[in-house]
Amino acid sequence: MGTSVQVTPLSGAYGESPLCYLLAVDGFRFLLDCGWSDLCDPSQLEPLAKVAPTIDAVLLSHPDMMHLGALPYAMKHLGLSAPVYATEPVFRLGLLTMYDHFLSRWQVSDFDLFTLDDVDSAFQNVVRLKYSQNHLLRDKGEGIVIAPHVAGHLLGGTVWKITKDGEDVIYAVDFNHRKETHLNGTVLTSFVRPAVLITDAYNALNNQGYKRKQDQNFVDALLKVLASGGSVLLPVDTAGRVLELLLILDEYWGQRNLKYPIHFLTNVSTSTIDFVKSFLEWMNDSISKEFEQNRDNPFLLKNVSLIINKEELEKLGDAPKVVLASMASLEVGFSHDIFVEMANDTKNLVLFTEKGQFGTLARMLQVDPPPKAVKVTVSKRIPLVGDELKAYEEEQERIKKEESLKASRIKEEELKASHGLNAKASDPMTIDGSSSRKSSNAGSHFGANVDILIDGFVPPSTSVAPMFPFFENTAEWDDFGEVINPDDYMMKQEEMDYSMMHGSGDGLDGKIDEGSARLLLDSTPSKVVSNEMTVQVRCSLAYMDFEGRSDGRSVKSVIAHVAPLKLVLVHGSAEATEHLKMHCAKNSDLHVYAPQVEETIDVTSDLCAYKVQLSEKLMSNIISKKLGEHEIAWLDAEVGKEDEKLILLPPSSPPPPHKSVLVGDLKLADFKQFLENKGWQVEFAGGALRCGEYITVRKIGDSIQKGGAGSQQLVIEGPLCEDYYKIRELLYSQFYLL
Amino acid sequence: MASVSAAPTGGKRPASGGREGDQMVITPLGAGNEVGRSCVHMTFKGRTVLFDCGIHPAYSGMAALPYFDEIDPSEIDVLLVTHFHLDHAASLPYFLEKTTFKGKVYMTHATKAIYKLLLQDYVKVSKVSVDDMLYDEQDIIRSLDKIEVIDFHQTVEVNGIRFWCYTAGHVLGAAMFMVDIAGVRILYTGDYSREEDRHLRAAETPQFTPDICIIESTYGIQQHQPRVVREKRFTEVVHSTVAQGGRVLIPAFALGRAQELLLILDEYWSNHPELHKIPIYYASPLAKRCMAVYQTYINSMNDRIKNQYAQSNPFHFKHIESLNSIDNFHDVGPSVVMASPGGLQSGLSRQLFDKWCTDKKNSCVIPGYVVEGTLAKTIINEPREVTLANGLTAPLHMQVHYISFSAHADFPQTSTFLDELRPPNIILVHGEANEMSRLKQRLISQFDGTNTKVVSPKNCQSVEMYFSSEKMAKTIGRMAEQVPEPGESVSGLLVKKGFTYQIMAPEDLRVYTQLSTANITQRIAVPYSGSFEVIRYRLKQIYESVESSTEESDVPALIVHERVTVRLESESYVTLQWSSDPISDMVSDSVVAVILNISREGPKVVPVEEAEKTKEETERVAQKVVYALMASLFGDVKVGEEGKFIISVDGNVAHLDGQSGNVECENAALRERIKTAFRRIQGAVRPIPLSVS
Repeated sequence: MGTSVQVTPLSGAYGESPLCYLLAVDGFRFLLDCGWSDLCDPSQLEPLAKVAPTIDAVLLSHPDMMHLGALPYAMKHLGLSAPVYATEPVFRLGLLTMYDHFLSRWQVSDFDLFTLDDVDSAFQNVVRLKYSQNHLLRDKGEGIVIAPHVAGHLLGGTVWKITKDGEDVIYAVDFNHRKETHLNGTVLTSFVRPAVLITDAYNALNNQGYKRKQDQNFVDALLKVLASGGSVLLPVDTAGRVLELLLILDEYWGQRNLKYPIHFLTNVSTSTIDFVKSFLEWMNDSISKEFEQNRDNPFLLKNVSLIINKEELEKLGDAPKVVLASMASLEVGFSHDIFVEMANDTKNLVLFTEKGQFGTLARMLQVDPPPKAVKVTVSKRIPLVGDELKAYEEEQERIKKEESLKASRIKEEELKASHGLNAKASDPMTIDGSSSRKSSNAGSHFGANVDILIDGFVPPSTSVAPMFPFFENTAEWDDFGEVINPDDYMMKQEEMDYSMMHGSGDGLDGKIDEGSARLLLDSTPSKVVSNEMTVQVRCSLAYMDFEGRSDGRSVKSVIAHVAPLKLVLVHGSAEATEHLKMHCAKNSDLHVYAPQVEETIDVTSDLCAYKVQLSEKLMSNIISKKLGEHEIAWLDAEVGKEDEKLILLPPSSPPPPHKSVLVGDLKLADFKQFLENKGWQVEFAGGALRCGEYITVRKIGDSIQKGGAGSQQLVIEGPLCEDYYKIRELLYSQFYLL
Repeated sequence: MASVSAAPTGGKRPASGGREGDQMVITPLGAGNEVGRSCVHMTFKGRTVLFDCGIHPAYSGMAALPYFDEIDPSEIDVLLVTHFHLDHAASLPYFLEKTTFKGKVYMTHATKAIYKLLLQDYVKVSKVSVDDMLYDEQDIIRSLDKIEVIDFHQTVEVNGIRFWCYTAGHVLGAAMFMVDIAGVRILYTGDYSREEDRHLRAAETPQFTPDICIIESTYGIQQHQPRVVREKRFTEVVHSTVAQGGRVLIPAFALGRAQELLLILDEYWSNHPELHKIPIYYASPLAKRCMAVYQTYINSMNDRIKNQYAQSNPFHFKHIESLNSIDNFHDVGPSVVMASPGGLQSGLSRQLFDKWCTDKKNSCVIPGYVVEGTLAKTIINEPREVTLANGLTAPLHMQVHYISFSAHADFPQTSTFLDELRPPNIILVHGEANEMSRLKQRLISQFDGTNTKVVSPKNCQSVEMYFSSEKMAKTIGRMAEQVPEPGESVSGLLVKKGFTYQIMAPEDLRVYTQLSTANITQRIAVPYSGSFEVIRYRLKQIYESVESSTEESDVPALIVHERVTVRLESESYVTLQWSSDPISDMVSDSVVAVILNISREGPKVVPVEEAEKTKEETERVAQKVVYALMASLFGDVKVGEEGKFIISVDGNVAHLDGQSGNVECENAALRERIKTAFRRIQGAVRPIPLSVS
C-alpha cells in the first residue's frame, strides 16, 4: 500500500482566512504554514490550539503574516514546539515582519499576545534550508525528505515537496509562474504527477493583464497624482511584495530622473533592505547575472529613502511624495496614521496593491463604491506623568520585590538540589551568561559560593533543620600546591570570538533599527491614549493587482500540467474554490478535494507497489528505446526469489506474444510541421489533418479526457494508394512500438 | 600507461568479467602528485564528470593546462568548479570556448562573481608576459553565459547525475561536491579547511558516507599552529615593526586569505588607537573590485560575520585604504602594505620588496602556502642575498616571517575528516609528491585493518574501480495489485528514468509518467465491385478465422483473424478497418492483396487441396527450414536422431531438440543463444497464433 496521507485545514479553507493546514504523512504531522491575519484575533487559532502540541514539524512558505504570523503566539501559548523549516529569506524577512507587526501594535495598544522575545525564541527553532535542498528528517520522520523549491510571489517563497517512498506530496500556495523584476517564476511545473498537490484557489476567478502594461498603468497613476500636487500612499507589507514595488519605482524614477521623493516607512525598513541586499542568490537570474557581471545590486535603491519613524516624514510637510508604509491592511502601523491624515484631501491617492484581508480597513475601502467616511481609532503611546507615573512606579516596585523574592526562593531550591554536587553543574542556571564564562575558567570552584555571599541566606522552606550552606573545597593538593587543570588557563579560541563579537549573542536578533530600538528600550513608563474618529474619505482610492500570484487561467494550466493524482484545494473564497474544483474535475481524471476547516480528508494514494531486483541476465537481453528522458522497453520475465527478495529472471519458456503498444504523444500541429518538412501538402480541415490529396489523420477525443486507458485515439483514413502507406510510415515514426 | 586497480567494494569481480557499465575510472588530468592545475576526470555508467579546471601557476601557455588531450571533452556531462582560485578555475574559459565540451558547468554564486573579475585580471597581467595566450577577455565574458550557479546543499540533477555541494571553508564560495551516480557517491573536496576563521565557516562533514573520497593533500602530514597563536604572532610582528618605524610587506594573493588578514588588521587597529596614524594599504585594484562581492554574499560566511552584519558590514573597513598603484604610494614613515602576487614573482609586491629588503627595520610576512620556485619560497630560508628584479643582487636584511594562514586542511584535520566519513576508497590529489606519499603512508596505517584503500595516482594515471550495483525496479499500478509468487511471469513496460526503473502495465504509463500511449485506427478504402461472397470465400481459403461481423450494420462485414474488419461500403469499394500493430498491418496487407487479385481476375490463389498437407509433411518442411536457418546462423550444424541437431561452435558442442527446443550445452552463453534463435525461428515457421494477449 502507498503512504498514508491526511490533510486537515486548520484555517484558510473555503474562505480567505490565514493559511494553516495539518498534513499527516504516515503519522508524521506537518503543520503547513502558521498564519494569522493582521487583526491578531486568538479565536482564529482555536483549531490550531487543539493540535499544536502534537505537531512534529512546521513548514513555512512565505515571509508574511498570512503564512507565519501566528508562529510566536503558537509557540508561546499553544504548546507548539516542533522544529520549523524555512528558507533563509523567509526566516529573516519573517522575523522582521513580526518585529514590525509587534512594534506597530505596541505603539497603539497594550499588546500582550506576544513580545519581541517570543518572536526571537520562536524563530530560534527555524532550520534554514536552501532551494532544492533535500533535507532528510530523522527519528519519527525517518524516510521522509522535505525540499523547498522556488515559488515566486515573495522573496524566499517556497513550494514544499515532501517525499516518502518515492511518492510526492506538494504544498504550493501563492505561487507565481511569472518572472518578476526581482523574483524567478515558480518551478512547480517541473514536478510531474505527484501523488498529492495541495494548492490554493485564491485567484481562481481573477485574471491579470500583461505585466509590462500593468507596471506602466501603476506608474502613470502615481505620476498623475504627484503632478497635480497630491501625495500617494501605498499600504504595503513589511518585507514581501513591497520589494517588487520598490524596484519598479526606483528603476522608473531613475530612468525618468524624477524628483518626487519616495519613502519606505516601516519600523524595520533599513534592516529589511540591508538583508535583502545580501539575498541576491534567491532572486531572479538576471539580478544575479547583473551582479556577477557588473557588481550592481539593484537594492542599493538610489531614489528611495528608508525611514523608520513618522517624524522624518512630517518634516517634509505637504510636498507631493510617494509613501510606502506598512501594514497593507491599514489596521495599525504607519499606513493607518498616514491614511487618516491624507484621506481628507481630494488631491491624494491611496493605492492598494493587494486585496485587503477580510474584515480590515483596507477591505472596507476596496468595496465599490468606496465608503464616504470610515470610523477609525487613533491611538498614541504617551509617557506617563504626574499621579499616573507615581502609581506606576509603585506598582513596578511591588512587582520587582515579589520577583526578587521568588527568584531567590528558586535559587535556594536549586542550590539545595545541587548541594554536594560539583558547584559547576548548577552554574548555568543561576548565573547570567557573562559570569558563567568567567567561572568556567580558573575560578570555577568558587562560583557558587560567591553567589551565595551576594544573595544572602534564605533558608529553603522545605528543609527541616536550616543551616548555612557549606561547600567543601574539593580542590586537590599535592607537594607542589593545588592541582590545576591546565585547560582552565588555556587561551580559549571561543572566548576570543566572544569578545570580538559585538554584543549580539545567539546570532538571532536581526537588528532592529536604532530608532525602533530606542523606542523599545526606552523604559519610560507610558500609556496608550486612543480616541475614535470618523474620517471623511475624500482622497481617491485605487486598487491594482501587484500581489504576484498566478492568475486563474495560469493556475488552471499549471494544475493541468502538474497533473497530480489527487488535488486538494484550500484558501480561496467559497466561490473560487467551487469554481476551480468543478473546472479540475471536469477536465481531467484527477480526484479533487476541497475540505472545510477542521475536516480531515484522506488522500492516501491507492498506489500499489512492490520492489523487484532486475537480474543481470535479464537486463542484458533487453533493448530499450530512448524517449525524451525516459528509456522504455517491453519486459517479459519470470519471478524468482533470492534472499527474501524478488528477482526477475529471463523467462524459461517463450513468453506469449503481447499486444503491441505504441508509445508517444502526438500533437497534430507538430505532425503537420513534420510532414511539411518532408515535402507534403498538409492542411487542417475540420479538425482533421489532410495530408496530400486523399489521406486524413484525425484525433478522436482529447487525451486529457477521462476514458479507458487514457491513450490517444488516432485515425488514419484514405483510399488504397501509395501515399497512404507513406503517410502511415511517417505517422509510425512518431511513435515507439513495443 | 599503467593503470591502478583499486578497491573492490562489495562484490568485485575480475576485471575481465566486469561489465563496462560497472567500472568507474578516475583520472587526474592535473594535480596528481603536484599542486596546481586541479582537474579530475571521472566516468561511470556512461556518465562523465570533470572536477575543477585549473592552470598551473608555475607554467605558462599551453603547458599550464591540465592534460586535456587524454579525454574527449564532448563526452563530459557536468563540470564542477569548487572555487575561484586560478589553479582550480583558470582553464575554464579555454575549456568552454576552445574545445568540443558541450556539457554543463556549475559553481557557487560567489565563485562565479569572483571568477570573472579574477580571470580578467589574470588575462591582463599575463598579456604582458606571455605570448601564447590561452584565451582573451571576450572568451571569459562568453564563458559566463555557460556557467550555471548552484547554492550550497541545493540538489541538481543532470542526465541522471545528481550532485550537491557542501561548504568547504578555504575561500568565499568554496564548495565540496558530492556526486551521486546510480547510488554510488563520490566526494570531491577541492581545497578545504576544517577550521573556522574570521569570516568563513569550517568545512561541513557530509551526512552521507561517500564510496570514494577525492581529497586534497597540500599540507601532507604537517600540523598548523592554532589560529589564535598565528594571529597573535602576526599582529605582534606587525605591531613591533611599525612601532620601530619599519614597514611591513605582506605579499598575498589578492583574494581569499587577503580578506581574512584585512579583517584581523582592521580589528587590531580598532583596538589599538595608538596605531591609528599608521596607514594600512591593500594594493590591489582586484581586491577592491571584489569587495562588493564580499559585502554581498554574507550568507555564505560564518555566523560571526552574519551577526556583525546585523550591526554593520564588517567588510566596510575603517582603517584600511586601497592603493591603486605604486605611484600613488608615498613611502614616508611606517606603513603596512598588502600586495599581490603572493609569490613575489613580479608586480607590486616585488617592487616593494626590492625597495625595502635591505633595511633591517622592515618586515615581510608571508601569510600562506608558497609555490615551489618562487622568490617567496626562497626567502623563507633567509638567504644572505637575494636577486632583485633588475638582475642585481642585494643583501637581505629585512626580517622574514612565515606565518601560514593558508586555509588548507592539515593532517589532524584530514585525519579526523576521513575518520568521520570512513570512505572505503581515498584518492589523494593536490599535493606535492613527497607530502602526498607521507600522507598516504600515515593514512594507510591509520586505517589499517579496515577495508580502506588509499591511492595517489599521478597525472593521467587512471584508478579503476568496480561497483556492481543491483538494479532494483519498482512495479507499480495495476500490475502490482498482487505480489507475484516465484515462478510466475511478469510482463509489462520497463521504464527507466535516470537510474530508476519502474515496471508498469501499458495502460498505467500515462498515470505514472509523462509518456502516453496511442491507438492508431486505420481505415482504408479498396476499390472492388464484385460480390462480397467472393471475398469471404477467398479469405476463408487463407485465414483460419473469418467471421461475420456481429455488429448490427446495414452493410455486410467480415472480421478476419479477429483483427481486420472488411466492409462492403458501396457498389464500388470495400473498406478495411483495423487497429495498428504489426500483425494486423500484415493481415490487412494480405487482405488488400486478395481483394485486388479478385478484381484483377489474375491467377488464382493456391488451391485448397495443396494447402491441406499432412501433419508430418508440415513438420518435415519445418524441420528443413529450421536446419537451414540454424546452419546459416551457427555454421556447423548436423542433423542427429529424432529431429535433433548437433551444433558445434569453436569446440563447444550443443544438442538441440527440434521438438521441445531443449538445448544441452556446456557453454551457457551458447546455450542461451541457440535457445533464443530457435524460439525466433519457430515463431517464423509456424502460422501466426490466432489469439494474442
